[in-house]
Amino acid sequence: MTASILDGIVLGLQFGLLATGLTLMYGLGGILNLAYGQMAVISAIVTVSVMDAGLPVVPAALVGMATGAVLGWILDQTVFRPLYSLRGEARVLLSLLLSLGVALMIDGFLNWLFPLKGLSLFIGGGAIDIFGEPMRRGSLLASAITIVAMAALVAFFRFTTLGRAVRSVIEDEEGARLVGIDPRKMLRLILVLSGAIAALVALTRSMVAPVDVTAGFGITVFALIVTVVGGLGSITGALAAGIILGIINAIAASAIGTFMSLIILLVAAAITILVRPAGLLGVKE
Amino acid sequence: MLEVRDLSVGYEGGDVVHDVTLRVDDGEAVMVIGSNGAGKTTLFRAIVGLLRATTGTVRFDDRDITAVPTQEVVRLGLGFVPAERHLFPRMTVHENLALGAYPSRPDPETLAMVMDLFPRLAERRRQLAGTMSGGEQQMLAIGRALMAKPRLLVLDEPTTGLAPKLAAEAYEALAVLRRRGLTVLVAEQQVPLAMALCDRGYVLEGGVVTKEGSSADLADDPEVRRAYLGIA
Amino acid sequence: MTERFAHATGTSAVGGVEERSARPLGGLVIPILAVGAALSLVPLWLGDSRVMMGIAVLGLAFAAYTIGFNLIFGSTGQLFLCVGALAGIGGYGGAILADVVGLPIVVSIVLATLAAAVVGALLSWVAVRRSLGVIFTGIVTLIFALTFENLLLGLGELTGGESGFLMKAGKGTWLRAQIPPYYLMLGMVLLALFVYGLLRRSHIGWAFRALRDDEVAAELAGIDVARYRIYAATIGSAILGLAGSLLAFTEGRISPTTFGFAEVDVVVIVMLAFGGIGSLLGPILGALTFTVIDELLVEVGQLRVFVYGALVIALFLWIPRGVIPTLGDLRRRRRPTRDS
Repeated sequence: MTASILDGIVLGLQFGLLATGLTLMYGLGGILNLAYGQMAVISAIVTVSVMDAGLPVVPAALVGMATGAVLGWILDQTVFRPLYSLRGEARVLLSLLLSLGVALMIDGFLNWLFPLKGLSLFIGGGAIDIFGEPMRRGSLLASAITIVAMAALVAFFRFTTLGRAVRSVIEDEEGARLVGIDPRKMLRLILVLSGAIAALVALTRSMVAPVDVTAGFGITVFALIVTVVGGLGSITGALAAGIILGIINAIAASAIGTFMSLIILLVAAAITILVRPAGLLGVKE
Repeated sequence: MLEVRDLSVGYEGGDVVHDVTLRVDDGEAVMVIGSNGAGKTTLFRAIVGLLRATTGTVRFDDRDITAVPTQEVVRLGLGFVPAERHLFPRMTVHENLALGAYPSRPDPETLAMVMDLFPRLAERRRQLAGTMSGGEQQMLAIGRALMAKPRLLVLDEPTTGLAPKLAAEAYEALAVLRRRGLTVLVAEQQVPLAMALCDRGYVLEGGVVTKEGSSADLADDPEVRRAYLGIA
Repeated sequence: MTERFAHATGTSAVGGVEERSARPLGGLVIPILAVGAALSLVPLWLGDSRVMMGIAVLGLAFAAYTIGFNLIFGSTGQLFLCVGALAGIGGYGGAILADVVGLPIVVSIVLATLAAAVVGALLSWVAVRRSLGVIFTGIVTLIFALTFENLLLGLGELTGGESGFLMKAGKGTWLRAQIPPYYLMLGMVLLALFVYGLLRRSHIGWAFRALRDDEVAAELAGIDVARYRIYAATIGSAILGLAGSLLAFTEGRISPTTFGFAEVDVVVIVMLAFGGIGSLLGPILGALTFTVIDELLVEVGQLRVFVYGALVIALFLWIPRGVIPTLGDLRRRRRPTRDS
């Protein structure tokens, strides 16, 4: 039991971090990016490739994150461009459909490139004991990196001028423009940042368990569930929901099995939407 | 300082404001008065670039800003306080003010000036903007606009939703700012308050400027007296 | 007649312009019969190949899915991202009722269709009651679809899990013959088209258009928005369930991927976007086109998915309203007097 709770916390931290990227894109620009998971997978593949080419882990990871960031930038400059002339629900809907197209393209390409699903990324290590439970070194390192990244993210949004500017657009776009903030630039920044976050999560995930090249859609769905439960647009909500759902998932998985644990997560998300459409920590508009 | 020429602007259904021409000189305070729905808000939103003008030009410091986006207009030194305020409700008073100085860090002197002008904001610097009263929010909105050290402050009905005492307080603050040399353009329905502040004014009716003149002349105009001052 | 048809579909996608008159039923029946006649010739061409006939039947099933989705999303703006799951209720429901419970095939199909209709109605009722909006309706139904997929995998003893369900019922009958299933499916598609066409012409269709164009105005005009949404979802889901059920009985083997989100919903969205959201024959055109494209792409293997993705993007960027309404627009632009 302790082991699965610890596993759950590791997973939950990663879920939470993952969801912040998605929730920011939605809160800031009304964009639901269904290609999010695929961005993560590509970044991870690039990391492994440069490691195979002889680069040490840390620089390779940085290359991977840069890849995610560049992918975000490319999306902003190409496919998402037509979105910015739309408003409200029309924008969300089209972003969903266009990013679905991007997700399919990436999935198709990756499956073609690695047809046997053979490539799984795993940067692991030995096991050490925590509270008398064996924890893999990879898990611990992954958690540590995730926590540091979260703290950095929270500090960025609370204490820096740029971070506050991003939040101001989420709170009141017109107000933000009135103090001289360009919402488009903030959205571009967030797309780049979310790409880097997706990459980081894929990398830390691969320290705990193999990440398959076809994992993209699953990652997006997890992020979406966490985002919805935490409240679309809420950073703290995403972090909290991630940890809660991670623990629920891990306990359910060890107690009843994988399929059912996923169903429990899905049902939890559905109930949240129905009971509190704005999410756990979201505020009703 | 500000020169609006033959400006027409509206929404999808058609123009709401027609061929408006107005001028604000350095150091002046100018009012635009008119009833609800006369087009004051539409006009002001077009001036700061929140709405695209159909025809006509807006010049600020001899620079054409008709098609310049709001966020850049603001950085040129034109501050705008909308009637709905558009504060950041889940941020503290201090964070709201700090963002007013974006992209720079807040200048301590300006911050002290704003706190001095609105002591209530100093008391509540850690409070979330969304939890404050209407009057406090209005002060914060003005304060936030001042943080960018504007040379022209444009206010759309700053007394919206305020009790008479608070409305008078808001105008006292504007009078202080005026004496310090700030140029002001204000749209107002509570005409007596605006008249006391401003040198000149325009009357906007049905989207068209029907009268203009010094505050004193307008105060003597029988139609203005009947329509806006409640004097027969 | 085809001219008038293009005209009618063109305007309906813009909404509002289409007259609500009691035009003779021929305006509806004739294009549907024409489509039926054209499609009924397919076996003459492909009838020799069991593989090709299987593809044709699947294509018709997708045409029915797209019609159902068009009715729910195109008419009332409810983004149901659970087309596959609702069809799966029809498919797995029918299979389980016939094989496990032992009911007659027809009864199984009817009950499974009803089950899909009820689930669709329930989803719509929840969405309407909680006023979820397009996006949240999409998310809730997507969650439902994923839950359904995982249930199929998790309840392996009943459903056969990942390897699928091999059906005994219908084995050795005409349902598994080479050509008759095609006509069964075609009949169902034409029926679905007819139902959808009738709805569009009726008072309900008028209400659908009104509420899609401007929900608030529709509400003010006294249209019970909630009720019409639920109607549309119920009828649409029944079409999906019936199509899924018939597909199950004619194929004889179903698996979670037969009704998966990636395998069904994504394709249906592409088909509808291509044909034209809210148009009568758009779904048929979309389903036909992409069934053919799918066949042509078999050779490129996994890159097929890549091409699909590129098509999704291209479609929504360049002809977001679909081929049929866009053609209708062009036609009217050339002859502006028609609209006067």
